[in-house]
Amino acid sequence: MSTVLALAGEVTTGEAATFYILAPIALIGAIGMVWARNAVHSALFLVLTMLSLGVFYILQAGPFIGMVQIIVYTGAIMMLFLFVLMLIGRDASDSLIETLRGQRTVALLLGIGFAGLLCTGLGRAVGSMTSVGLDEANAAGNTQGIARDLFTKYVFAFEVTSALLITAAVGAMLLAHVEKVKAEKVTQLEMMRARFAPGNYPAPKPGPGVFAATNSVAAPGLLPDRTVAGRSLSALVPTRELTEAEAAPKGTEK
Amino acid sequence: MSKFPFLTLLVTLPLLGALILAFFPRSAGELAKRFALVWTLVVFALTVGAWLAFKAGGDRFQLKDDYPWIPQWGVRFTFEVDGIALVMVALIGLLVPLIVVASWKTVEALDGNRSVPAYFALLLALQGMMIGVFAASDVLLFYVFFEAMLVPMYFLIGSYGSHQRRQYAAVKFFLYSLVGGLFMLAAVIGLWVLGGNTFDWHTLVEAEFTTWAERWMFLGFFVAFAIKAPFFPFHTWLPDAGSAAPAPAAALLVAVMDKVGTFGILRYCLSLFPNASKYFAPLAIALALVGIIYGALLAVGQNDLKRLVSYTSIAHFGFIGIGIFAFTTQAGSGAVLYMLNHGLATGLLFLVVGFLVARRGSASIKDFGGAGKLVPWLSGVFFIAGMASLALPGTSPFVSEFLVLLGVFAVNKTVAVIATLGIVLAAAYVLWMYQRTMQGTLNPALNEVPAMKKDLSVRELAVVAPLIGLILFLGFYPKPVLDVINPAVQATFTQDLGVSDPAPKSEAKK
Amino acid sequence: MTFKLPAIDYLALAPMLVLFGAACAGVLVDALVPREWRYHVQVPLSLVALLASGGFVVALANRKEHVVTAGSAVVIDGPGLFLQGSIVVLGIVALFLVAERRLEPGGAFVAQAAVVAGSEADRKQMRKPGVTEVYPMMLFALAGMMLFCSANDLLTMFVALEVFSLPLYLLCALARRRRLLSQEAAVKYFLLGAFASAFFLYGVAMIYGYAGKVDFRGINEAVLGSSNSKTLLLIGLAMLAIGLLFKVAAVPFHVWTPDVYQGAPTPITAFMAACTKVAAFGGLLRVLYVAFERSSWDFRPTLGVIAAATMIVGAVLAVTQTDIKRLLAYSSVANAGYLLTGTLSMNRDGLKYTMFYLVAYGFTVLAAFAIVMLVRDSDGEATHLARWAGLGRRSPVFASLFTFLMLAFAGIPLTSGFTAKFGVFAAAVGGNMTWLVIIGVLSSMILAFPYLRVVVLMWLSVPGDDTPTVSVPGAFTAAALFVGVAMTLVLGVAPNQALELVNDAGAFLR
Repeated sequence: MSTVLALAGEVTTGEAATFYILAPIALIGAIGMVWARNAVHSALFLVLTMLSLGVFYILQAGPFIGMVQIIVYTGAIMMLFLFVLMLIGRDASDSLIETLRGQRTVALLLGIGFAGLLCTGLGRAVGSMTSVGLDEANAAGNTQGIARDLFTKYVFAFEVTSALLITAAVGAMLLAHVEKVKAEKVTQLEMMRARFAPGNYPAPKPGPGVFAATNSVAAPGLLPDRTVAGRSLSALVPTRELTEAEAAPKGTEK
Repeated sequence: MSKFPFLTLLVTLPLLGALILAFFPRSAGELAKRFALVWTLVVFALTVGAWLAFKAGGDRFQLKDDYPWIPQWGVRFTFEVDGIALVMVALIGLLVPLIVVASWKTVEALDGNRSVPAYFALLLALQGMMIGVFAASDVLLFYVFFEAMLVPMYFLIGSYGSHQRRQYAAVKFFLYSLVGGLFMLAAVIGLWVLGGNTFDWHTLVEAEFTTWAERWMFLGFFVAFAIKAPFFPFHTWLPDAGSAAPAPAAALLVAVMDKVGTFGILRYCLSLFPNASKYFAPLAIALALVGIIYGALLAVGQNDLKRLVSYTSIAHFGFIGIGIFAFTTQAGSGAVLYMLNHGLATGLLFLVVGFLVARRGSASIKDFGGAGKLVPWLSGVFFIAGMASLALPGTSPFVSEFLVLLGVFAVNKTVAVIATLGIVLAAAYVLWMYQRTMQGTLNPALNEVPAMKKDLSVRELAVVAPLIGLILFLGFYPKPVLDVINPAVQATFTQDLGVSDPAPKSEAKK
Repeated sequence: MTFKLPAIDYLALAPMLVLFGAACAGVLVDALVPREWRYHVQVPLSLVALLASGGFVVALANRKEHVVTAGSAVVIDGPGLFLQGSIVVLGIVALFLVAERRLEPGGAFVAQAAVVAGSEADRKQMRKPGVTEVYPMMLFALAGMMLFCSANDLLTMFVALEVFSLPLYLLCALARRRRLLSQEAAVKYFLLGAFASAFFLYGVAMIYGYAGKVDFRGINEAVLGSSNSKTLLLIGLAMLAIGLLFKVAAVPFHVWTPDVYQGAPTPITAFMAACTKVAAFGGLLRVLYVAFERSSWDFRPTLGVIAAATMIVGAVLAVTQTDIKRLLAYSSVANAGYLLTGTLSMNRDGLKYTMFYLVAYGFTVLAAFAIVMLVRDSDGEATHLARWAGLGRRSPVFASLFTFLMLAFAGIPLTSGFTAKFGVFAAAVGGNMTWLVIIGVLSSMILAFPYLRVVVLMWLSVPGDDTPTVSVPGAFTAAALFVGVAMTLVLGVAPNQALELVNDAGAFLR
């Protein structure tokens, strides 16, 4: 199959056509991935790019890597990614404030310059090259060839990659997993008991009251003698005492 | 080695003493003082032994001690002295016990609770490292002592300085010296690579370098030494450090530590880079001349006694500078003798100023005036120190200044004439300083300071007496010292530098 | 299709295999052993593993047989073994710091990193023992570093790069205090590190395009013989260099350094400063000396400019810092410049003295961070420099040690900083990179200032009310501190053994 698709050193019309169709799509996907505000859109753009790349690999006589790209990257990883995004809810409100002014413009210019430099360099370098060694690499079949390399030349790197995977798994646990201690789980019964236990006030907390000038939760509730009701103070919201001017009648109650 | 290892002991003993003192508890101040005094006296005795063991007419380098250190780099612990170094080592051996005695009450007088043992530990460490600088004949070893010497001095100025600006002065001192040291490091590395991976001074003297390499390396060393000495454009740290340091430490700084610069020029710049030395000699002489006039002029205008003495030193270093770069044996011997005599005279001056400042609680000249009536003895010693500083005939600096001028005159009359101007200025600043502090009507404020009514104590007398004695003795009879110095200077100029003294007659014919 | 597994010399791989195995065991310990026992199992386990690994390194060094094994993926040669050995030794010292739990209840690491910072649950876990996954992570990182120094092809090198980077990203996020800073540091490090890895990988692809091979020997042959356009080689080398220079924190790829050093838990900062530096430079040395030596004419000017910029920018920015951890971060940037200077000598001395520098710097920086860990108040470590004022009066012993370390960083003789700098500078002069040496010397002058400022603050300022106390170190920190300071002194005073070791290590096996 491989020899049919790509003969060493020659580019068939079909291959060229596929490339010219898919290459812009891959690029659009990549740019769109960075550009999109919505995380789900980003992920989908990435899927697009990866699919295109998968096709390229197959075109280049690497059917195994092409299929792996599609099955593992596009199929498994990106879909998992999407599931997670959907599950935890997507939030498009990324902060887009530049901490360094003009940073983005400069980065864009530098990026374009760098890409230009790289492309011209590569264009000149690759233009004069003849590709060699494809037939030898695929002599016993593409998948077999990869297997041979993995288990002979790069066997150590291959084994060491397991360390990487363990680290990644442990890291994910470390950074994302909160242990729930059994003792901390409170049953409904216990909550009820605690509510009516001596020392606790079971009724709702007092609101700002009839004479309140504001209905903000930050304003403490007043008891009939105009002292602050301690229970109305929240542990989370800082208390905001109104100034005289704010508390004065606004002239709307004539 | 069957000989007695004088130099090794001279370097290690003070360092050992410093280590012991560092473990003294804070409360053991009195014990620490006595210990430091006894220890430095032992070192002094060793110095005397070394002086006697050195044969004045013998080899150029003597008393060699040699131990391996880092064989991979060719670094060795090589200690040996020629006449020049011996004189400086002897000066250190003599001065440090006196300075220990002079410091007897310095630390307690400072505000804040500062550790007495630590002060003396730093003093001893400084002594060991300074002896190491003069005794080393391995270039890296020299560099190591040269740099390490900064650390105790830095803490002496920074922690025990009396002045408000002591931190500033300490940091300035350290940075200036470190910058110079790093220039030297670059040159040392160059020397090591180009000189065949060795640090042995004797081997390196024989090595040949290309013209430019030699010039760059000369500059590296010269800048370091010019900062240390200090010569004119690199001098600004000295007045600050000198005025901020406690007076005894300042005496040590100016009297000995700065001599490392001039010593280094003689031993390293001239001997290792003879061609570059000749090339740069006019520049060096010009800097030295500017230093003489500039230092003297600024000294005239100073209102702070310690700063004034610091500026006089800059002028004196100018004399030493022209003496060295005149390249005649006479001027060279004069310069080396000047190094010794300046150490004695300025050391004395700084110590006496220290006594005055300790009594008055201020170094400003305005705060004195007519003090001679209250403390006649102290005023007398001050006068002698001043006279020695302006090189009055009969005091030892006169001999050296005369030799320098004579030697310079033989090769370059203009330089000699300009330098003579410095003598006139010296008379002006010394006499004016004396007049403003000791003579005239009594400053009424002085009467209210009870300490000002105490004349020289026995302890203080014991400090100044040996110095005055030596200044007068060497003023009349410098021969024993000159006998030691002359061969070394001769060897430096004729063997290493390859110049011969101009014959006076042929000069006249031209 | 049949193929034979390549011959694997398990002894040669043993130092790494032991660590990988112990790390896996450590993960299992965390899964199976009850919580209160984990720390007491993990620490001995890690320590034993590191000692065993070190033992294997020594055994391999004694075998004196340099091998390429595991299908030419790993090469065990002299420099590789030396670097592996230094990573293990520095790793043990860093492990001491990581294992410290006396200074703060539960150690420097958070109990549960996933709990939202600043929440009620976070306050509750404040006094709970820290995570113990730290130890297997550290072992993974160390094993990766060792592989990075002895990889024989770019692919293995890339895997090793990831293996040691990923645990470091994680470890950065685990600080017990100032958790948001810590997490920010981890994210920054991870993102920039990922970019750097991408550059590295892209470079590998280019090199493969040029040479048709990824192993160093093949690349070396291709540099001479390949008919492909040289542009590919240059692009590839540039990309590769970006990836590596990011890890060594060279300007302009250094911007992550201060933030990550500041945010990461201090033991991890120390670990990164010491071990990552060794690994990154080990890799850089191998890539440049083995694979690309023949194109040194191409990369030396460019990398030389980067080295110069690294030294200058690191030094200048260090001057402006007010936080001790950031100061040390910039000092580590500047030190990367000195190391690059040694690396670019491209001669045997360059290899030798760069390795020596790595070890010397590693010990000093570990000890320095050990002291940073000790200076604390109720809010944890007091890293702002203003808080260090007057520390010398509060605890003279630790202030003295820190002063010594600062002097070592400044390169004062008799510390390892001096011998190390001397080595790399001498190598660079020998390798015709004198201009870099001059810039190195200049930047050392600038760099001396911030170090000196810390010393001034500690000793010459009066302690205020909020001057933090120096905690009594636990046995672990005390051991780390002792080893660090002792090695700084030993490598400065008597570096013979270490120099002998780097000398015996010989050249890379090609």
